[in-house]
Amino acid sequence: MTESAGHLLVLGIGNVLMGDEGVGVHVVRHLEQLDVPPGVELLDGGTGSFLLLDPMQRARKVILIDATLDGNPAGTVRRLTPRFSRDYPRTLTAHDIGLKDLLDTFYLLDHPMNVVLFAISIAPLQGIGMVLSPEIEARVAEFAQLVLREVESASRPDPQENGLESLASAQDDSR
Amino acid sequence: MARMVVDPITRIEGHLRIEAVVENGTIMDAYSAGTMVRGFEKILKGRDPRDAWAFTERACGVCTTVHALASVRTVEDALGISVPKNAELIRNLMFCTQYVQDHVVHFYHLHALDWVDVVSSLSADPQKTAQIATSISSWPKSSPKYFAAVQDKLKAFVASGQLGIFANGYWGNPSYKLPPEVNLLAVTHYLEALEWQKEIVKIHTIFGGKNPHPNYLVGGVPCSINTDEVNAINMDRLNYVGSLINGAIAFVEQVYIPDLMAIAGFYKDWAAIGGGLKNYLAYGDLPTRGYGQPDYFKFARGAILDRNLNEVYPVNGRDSQEIKEYIEHSWYSYSSGEASGLHPFDGETEFNYTGPKPPYEQLNVEGKYSWLKTPRWKDHAMEVGPLARLLVSYAKGSTEVKDVVNEALGRLGVPITALFSTLGRTAARGLETRLVAHWMKDFYDELMAQIKTGELSTFTRDRWEPSTWPATAQGVGLTEAPRGALAHWIKIKDGKIDNYQLVVPSTWNASPRDPKGQRSAYEASLIGTHLANPEQPLEILRTIHSFDPCIACAVHLYDPEGKHIHQIKFE
Repeated sequence: MTESAGHLLVLGIGNVLMGDEGVGVHVVRHLEQLDVPPGVELLDGGTGSFLLLDPMQRARKVILIDATLDGNPAGTVRRLTPRFSRDYPRTLTAHDIGLKDLLDTFYLLDHPMNVVLFAISIAPLQGIGMVLSPEIEARVAEFAQLVLREVESASRPDPQENGLESLASAQDDSR
Repeated sequence: MARMVVDPITRIEGHLRIEAVVENGTIMDAYSAGTMVRGFEKILKGRDPRDAWAFTERACGVCTTVHALASVRTVEDALGISVPKNAELIRNLMFCTQYVQDHVVHFYHLHALDWVDVVSSLSADPQKTAQIATSISSWPKSSPKYFAAVQDKLKAFVASGQLGIFANGYWGNPSYKLPPEVNLLAVTHYLEALEWQKEIVKIHTIFGGKNPHPNYLVGGVPCSINTDEVNAINMDRLNYVGSLINGAIAFVEQVYIPDLMAIAGFYKDWAAIGGGLKNYLAYGDLPTRGYGQPDYFKFARGAILDRNLNEVYPVNGRDSQEIKEYIEHSWYSYSSGEASGLHPFDGETEFNYTGPKPPYEQLNVEGKYSWLKTPRWKDHAMEVGPLARLLVSYAKGSTEVKDVVNEALGRLGVPITALFSTLGRTAARGLETRLVAHWMKDFYDELMAQIKTGELSTFTRDRWEPSTWPATAQGVGLTEAPRGALAHWIKIKDGKIDNYQLVVPSTWNASPRDPKGQRSAYEASLIGTHLANPEQPLEILRTIHSFDPCIACAVHLYDPEGKHIHQIKFE
């Protein structure tokens, strides 16, 4: 809880009890073993929905890693910049609704969020279990490198990224 | 008859599908299906019992702490460990934190929009909203200018059409009864609650080290108390916890409860809708003299049958004749046969999916149709949750509970039978939040008093080492998740987990029929409900959301021939 307001949050999302569905968390755990630049917070977000609002809001930028059931071959990675819940790709499990809603919530709170999402395609109908499928397991290190590259480029100042519009804000002046 | 399918039910956590048979706009029958496989039990076998909490914490993204609590209690029960007083108090504080946060989020962010019309709030007179706000509460954010500014902001959101939560409602449905001014008040507090809920959960980080997956520990709590130590629970942190608790009491008393009462006043007809089952089960929680003495829990333990509040039956999680799970309509198989029921100590988790390949139009409700097993207490279908908790405590004579419940009933001018309903369930959740917020302060004061006397112990090493354990042991950890009775059962053999079973609240409420054909709570509660507009299953959402489902979900509607007429998708 001591990060400065300008830190980067790398947030792995997913349920580690459901095989490949938890790949986002596995990538974060892999990153924990590597040299990550200072000012970067790694967080295993689980399927935490509203509980993730605060850590996300405290960050200057959020790099999300999540599994998706978008019909692409398992292991396909897409880099997306979702701004609203409707931009979020299709997922399967319990975090389907909660995390998507958070993206909209940032607008409600006058805090549009700068989000980069690495969506990793997985095969449908995963079994219960804590191990990844061999084809996803073999790629975790590579996914982690993608995230590291994103972290490095995000650490360089980019004036355009501060240009997100803010919807009208309501201030309480009744006191 | 028309079969209406709601798949997924939105604004819940998990996967839930409701199929309702509709005739002339009225629900004649209903089927509830959990569409996501569960099977944590398989993952736990062979592991160290002291690690089980960290796995069960992942069962749900919302209820992380209660699964951890149930798990450490299960192991302590099996091994005969009693935790120190400070650990009991800190666990209670974690428990209360989750209740207050979760119930506020449920009311404003998962349930309110079933009753509150966002679009109507755009035509409210902010001046009148301010008058209403100040007439029901002393909450300071209540000026006409403030409500006007929120309204302008909402207009921008709705006009943009980009925010899913405001774009996907049944706005304008005739079942919405609130005046525009009350709608504006509620939507304003929807936004305030979003900000507020972020603060209270910091208590989990302080005592549990991290969030959303705080640490638990068999034998106590993993934090040490040292009032001068930077890295321990020190005075600064304790004072911060105290201020967060005061903030929680203020928010609940000045925002949540006044809003709940104001909204309930316009929906008193819902005090006669959605009652469903007549049996209620609570394991109880918030021990004050140890987990082994349920008579001193703040939430009482017991079962009520046929809504008879004059008798509360004792409940024993270890008795093999009390709680049993059935699988005749669930995608599992038992070695003892389809119609048999198994106590969780002897529970089996063998998958047996016989359903259609998704996506499908209709489930075969004559056969297996859900991933949830069907739990029964002495073969009765039971409702669990805030209403069950309040009723059991009320019937057992808890003065604190009776005072809060009777005051609310008096304010609304309704009899106690009004509680047996959709509205009663939603009101019970608010009323227990009020109780819990104040209990939280009591636990905090008690913890501070302990610390002042120099009592700092938070953990007992008794029986931590597996070498001190018997060759075999079994235990049950009963708790109350915000959504209702939650229990874990463990069998330990040679220091490892031999069997582990969870029966979660939504299994009680959302399960399919049992072999006798008895419906569980969701299915029973929908029967007889009239839909104002059968294309918009708003009334189904009201009742299902009143249970606070923790399995994610959908709505499909079928015409009398079973033909699919409508499916509502929520992105």
